[in-house]
Amino acid sequence: MVRFFQACADGLLTGALYALIGMGLALIFGVMRIVNFAHGAFLMVGMYATYVLFDYFKLNPYIGFLPAGLVLFIFGYVVYLLLIRPVRDRSHFMQILMTTGIGLILTDSAQLIFKADYRQTNIDLINRSVHIGPFGANAAEVLSFAIAVAFVVGLHFFVTRSLTGQALRAISQSPEVAPLMGINLTRIQGFSFALGIALAGVAGGLLLPRLYLFPGVGEDYTTKAFVMVVLGGMGSIEGAALGGLVLGLSESLTSLYVGNQWALIVDFVLFLLVLSFKPSGIFGRQRA
Amino acid sequence: MSILKSWKFWIGLIVVLLWARMPWFIRNNYQLQVLFRITLFAALGLAWNLVGGYAGQLSLGHVAFFGVGAYGLALFTEIGIPIWISVFLAAVVATIFAAVIGAIAFRLRGPYFTLSTIAFAEVLRLTATNLNVTGGAIGLTMPSLFVGRTFWRSFYLASVALTVVAFLANYWASRSRFGYYLMAIREDEDTASAVGINTALCKLQALLMSAFLTALAGALYGSAFQFIVPDSILTLEISVQIAIITMLGGAGTLLGPIVGAVLLLTASEAFKNQFRESHLLIYGILIVVVVLFLPEGIVGGLQHRFRRRIRPPADANPKPALGGAAQ
Repeated sequence: MVRFFQACADGLLTGALYALIGMGLALIFGVMRIVNFAHGAFLMVGMYATYVLFDYFKLNPYIGFLPAGLVLFIFGYVVYLLLIRPVRDRSHFMQILMTTGIGLILTDSAQLIFKADYRQTNIDLINRSVHIGPFGANAAEVLSFAIAVAFVVGLHFFVTRSLTGQALRAISQSPEVAPLMGINLTRIQGFSFALGIALAGVAGGLLLPRLYLFPGVGEDYTTKAFVMVVLGGMGSIEGAALGGLVLGLSESLTSLYVGNQWALIVDFVLFLLVLSFKPSGIFGRQRA
Repeated sequence: MSILKSWKFWIGLIVVLLWARMPWFIRNNYQLQVLFRITLFAALGLAWNLVGGYAGQLSLGHVAFFGVGAYGLALFTEIGIPIWISVFLAAVVATIFAAVIGAIAFRLRGPYFTLSTIAFAEVLRLTATNLNVTGGAIGLTMPSLFVGRTFWRSFYLASVALTVVAFLANYWASRSRFGYYLMAIREDEDTASAVGINTALCKLQALLMSAFLTALAGALYGSAFQFIVPDSILTLEISVQIAIITMLGGAGTLLGPIVGAVLLLTASEAFKNQFRESHLLIYGILIVVVVLFLPEGIVGGLQHRFRRRIRPPADANPKPALGGAAQ
């Protein structure tokens, strides 16, 4: 039983980071109806940004993720203006191709600049652990969990309480009417795209100390983010956060009872089941 | 025989014969191998075109059929079935997979459809990586369809034959009632369904044909390169490659996939020496360029321009054209 609860705890620790990734994707989908197939690639860029800060300026990744997130925000805004805005009113077909293309460019540019070498950040914290009763957890994971939760809660309040958040929800409810109410469509869309990308970047920075870094590291996270967003109901930001936790739990439990290598398959099967039987998501309300 | 009077038929025949004669001009095995891949990807693009071009369904899971073709060939021959029957059986299995995938995925639209095709392909890749029977991450040695000194020449000719078959399937789709149904679905699925087209069935039929051809190409490809691992034969990269080849040349056009394959593979071959592992960069850049500036692809854009130049005076009361590559 201890092992079960330990696995649940591990799952939630990872799940909070997943929630951050999923919320970014959900934000972009909600406001623009564009599925960002480059999400994992942006996460990878966030990891490299944090890594560069660590490598050149000796900045601890748990501080470095903030400037990295900022860089990604600006980068996301520029990508929106140059590449996403022109396809805003085009078919899904073209939008998917566009984001796929952006993802390829990002991944292979990273390959060109940093080569395919595996890189790692060695920080002290990763070797320490925290014990509560019979349960143990890595100190670095607990810290990144806390930061991720702070971001998730912050984003929730931002979206529900602030004026920009209201504009954002207005556009996601009705992209035709919102601009008539005086909301600047381009600015809000650009802002939410940039914010979604920044969240992916932050998650990347927080994941960095735990993973080996290489240009293709983001690929799995694109697909994982889709799974979370679909679990939570496409476009629902809170749903995506819950989806992230569910995914973290299911992966951790699959690793415990079936085997580590099957975790990703369970993700996809979950995804296909939800898509075929409850496309509005397990937490989703029915949307148009 | 009206077909014998059409100049297009004769030109096509001459092109095919010249294309098939290529190995007699080229003795270099590496160049033949590149030609083989160009031709094979033309066939893959044509197969994808049935679903992605005519029916307008953006599948990024076609590598599933490709991989099943290759794995099927390896596994069927292993249990003692003659090699050419194995190729056929592998393609049949891929078609059955397509029926299952289509039954679920075609209930979804737009991004949901694309996502589910990716998910299916990824499930297959991960399963192949984890099962012992498929050799896991270590992979399988493929049986050789051809042996001896004419190895690459035979594979090349087989790929030309496959491309011709795929082209004929596209030709049929562009002229038949079935093809018009597909195009109607692409333009507006709800309207198509409202005028009595069984949209689910049409899309599924297109996918089955497409999957069968894709699996044949997969078997050929796997056998030619003699060795398969999940990360080479079942990766999302191949699905993207097939889609972008067709989009670059012109989705929903007959010649588009062929033009796309020639251009893209030549370019990527040239870039491979320059950029090594980053040769997919050119794919990314091309995708962005195509989406922004050439949404109808090269052939699609040219056709559009030519039709406009030649036709207008002939019709005093122009009706909006059905089909075309308009979005």
